[in-house]
Amino acid sequence: MDSATGYLTTTVDAVVNWARSNSLMPMPMGLACCAIEMMAFGGPKYDVGRFGSEAMRFSPRQADLMIVAGWCSYKMAHAIRRVWDQMADPKWCIAMGACASSGGMHRCYGVVQGIDNFMPVDVYIPGCPPRPEAVIHALMDIQEKIRNEYSVTNDYSSGSPHAELAQPESARLTADGRDLSLNGSGLVHA
Amino acid sequence: MPESLKFHFTPVDEAHADEKNVHEKASTDVADTIDILKKEFPDGISDVVVYAGEYTVFVTRDSLVEICTALKETLGFSYLVDLAGVDRFTEDAPRYEVYYCFVNIHAKKRIRLKVSLDEDDPVLPSITRLFKAADWNERECYDMLGIQFEGHPDLRRMYMPEDFEFHPQRKEFPLLGIPGSLPLPPRTPEGGLTMDPFAAARQGSPVKSYQEPESEF
Amino acid sequence: MSVATPYHDQDAIFSFWPRHNETLLKRLESKDAWLSTERGLDVSRIEDALEHEMTLNIGPQHPATHGVLRCVVKLDGERIEKCVLDIGYLHRGIEKLAESKTYQEFMPYTDRMDYLSPYANNVAWCMAVEKIANVEVPERAQWIRMIMCELARISSHMLWLGVGLMDAGAVSVFLWTFQGREDLYNIFDEVSGARFTVSHSRIGGLASDLSPKAIEMIQDFAIRYEGIIQGWQKLLNRNRIWIDRNKDIGVISADEAIQLGLTGPNLRGSGVAYDIRTFEPYLKYEEVDFTIPLREEGDCLARYHIRVEEMLESIKIINQCLEQMPEGPIRTDDAKKAYPSKDEVYYSMEGMIHDFMYTETGVAPPKGVASYHAIESPKGELGFYLESDGTGCPWRARLNAPSFTNLQGLESMMEGHPVADIVVLIGSIDPVMGEADR
Ligand code: SF4
Repeated sequence: MDSATGYLTTTVDAVVNWARSNSLMPMPMGLACCAIEMMAFGGPKYDVGRFGSEAMRFSPRQADLMIVAGWCSYKMAHAIRRVWDQMADPKWCIAMGACASSGGMHRCYGVVQGIDNFMPVDVYIPGCPPRPEAVIHALMDIQEKIRNEYSVTNDYSSGSPHAELAQPESARLTADGRDLSLNGSGLVHA
Repeated sequence: MPESLKFHFTPVDEAHADEKNVHEKASTDVADTIDILKKEFPDGISDVVVYAGEYTVFVTRDSLVEICTALKETLGFSYLVDLAGVDRFTEDAPRYEVYYCFVNIHAKKRIRLKVSLDEDDPVLPSITRLFKAADWNERECYDMLGIQFEGHPDLRRMYMPEDFEFHPQRKEFPLLGIPGSLPLPPRTPEGGLTMDPFAAARQGSPVKSYQEPESEF
Repeated sequence: MSVATPYHDQDAIFSFWPRHNETLLKRLESKDAWLSTERGLDVSRIEDALEHEMTLNIGPQHPATHGVLRCVVKLDGERIEKCVLDIGYLHRGIEKLAESKTYQEFMPYTDRMDYLSPYANNVAWCMAVEKIANVEVPERAQWIRMIMCELARISSHMLWLGVGLMDAGAVSVFLWTFQGREDLYNIFDEVSGARFTVSHSRIGGLASDLSPKAIEMIQDFAIRYEGIIQGWQKLLNRNRIWIDRNKDIGVISADEAIQLGLTGPNLRGSGVAYDIRTFEPYLKYEEVDFTIPLREEGDCLARYHIRVEEMLESIKIINQCLEQMPEGPIRTDDAKKAYPSKDEVYYSMEGMIHDFMYTETGVAPPKGVASYHAIESPKGELGFYLESDGTGCPWRARLNAPSFTNLQGLESMMEGHPVADIVVLIGSIDPVMGEADR
């Protein structure tokens, strides 16, 4: 057995993941109409504070979950990617709404057909706009995913900034949001 | 396609001048103003079209600024509401049209001017000196249709980045854009800009994080 | 085929639209401050050994910019000397999209223009199409549209108030106004089935009638919120901090406002009585009794007063509409011009064919005609200029967006104020980028 499955690391993992998943600080990348529903998600009725994510951080340095809400134009894409790069690892991303996930109804020259063309996405929310309940569901999916991650092992092996590229298969599965999200909230390791 | 094979699934209606439009407004009845304009600029006005109680005054390019000055200074149309271009996309000249919508707030009147422009020479005199509000509208018209406004203080693109070279509102520009004309951010630290608009489908998910590039601005 | 790309040099590090930024900066340098050219104020700087000149870039992603507005400002110490706004970060070309959609198909796009008050946009689009195609609308539908437009106005102003106050530092008002919006969402949900992207209006009428429950909810809302809005007024009208942050900020005189083309509450805040509801009355605004709030000061405080008073006026209008609303059909009974009712579609062959035809082609205005129709949306004059080629799709659909024209004035308004006022100024202009960027 290597360190990835050792008793100590898995126990520390559990603690770290518990802490991380219950205090996600969203960076609301509110672009368009979905941003209004994102406000409702943080507002009084749906009150995302119940999930520990009420502290919306407009500074990327303090956030670890980016919610891209709205259609993203080519002109804006570079700004979004830069804000995403400025967020400290570990970080997650929710593509909220049809536009962020796939371009949605705006199949037009100005709009990027899905933000996953230039940044990794962990959870996609369908809907135009998704109701705040759906956003909460996505948040819970992210929490579920975090709880199943090898967080300490990842940190331990991530010496270089581009460590994901050199990681073993098992670790890459968790680092690569796409595989997991398709697989249903990271239940691969459960 | 032979003429006999054409399939018109869309009914094409002709405009009936005598039909009364139920949405006609009193504010668009500007026959008096047009009479004054016609008297003052007999060569400047080429045509007047009426539909739904709205008057569209076709003016020539050379007399546009004079007519706008007269509208603003003597006739009280001091509020510019809208300015935009239209691509007629026909082979017979003129190809472009630019329309101006002015409002006289005190007399409660609304008038529309229109200028036709040739495809080879899409240049118009700017009216920003008369109406400051025309500034952004003219820039937008330049961005979308490529119509130049002479004398505009700052003819930049309004919406698209300056690095873009097409004018998207023109009819020949494809709705889905031209692949590669607008780059996406790099997908890997070493990689260049992504020119493929559907990179996710062909190359999979981008790398999660890398060192951000140095800022220059 | 090789496609021309603006970046031939792929090795150069790309830093956020290099050519774009260059022209932006050049414009900032070459620009004359509005203060000196129009108002004749002296903006010359005091010579200082310590450089206190600075160029600051705010946005496109910034919490205070209400979306994705980018301001590049030149500062002299803390004072803004000049400012260049850059918009287009949400541009998707709906005018182009409209050209490939039928008139009815385009309706959902109008929801996503000014997403704080989608119903008003629906109505604006429908009325523009009805004008060019000469479609008559039944009485009841007009009254219902009016009620919903006023509800949209309230919901837009509520968000403006909450977010504007949050920008100025008061978070609790955001929670209150959002509660109000949730109540409005419930009404919209009951009426149309969606929380705010309603798409409920149809060309020639409405999609469905108001249910008794919806009418009850609207009545209840109108009764409750009159008091609540007055409560907000009590909190803010004499609030020291709020007044200090807003009074004499961004003053625009009436002449300047007309020159800059401001519209809506921003224009009326400067003392110009231009409101489409009375300028060229549409729907049934002639038959209800309401006043249009007007202020002379032209500063942020005046705009605040106007918006809050408008909410109260809207409630007045809604009450009158509920009283005067007649019974009757909610859509014209002309298969060429409007959708048949669902009963017809499900139980008669003809109805179904009409439904298909309407979806496929829709209403077709005469060839080569053009018309412009505007309504007073919460932000100002929202107009559609349509040109038809005789088919079911518009040849040219031009959107005259109030946020766009208002933003233009913001550039001049900012000059001469401290940086901290940017936040309040943007809030008081109330731009929605989805609409401004088309
Ligand atoms: S998914 Fe719909 S609601 Fe969300 S940003 Fe796109 S158009 Fe707007």
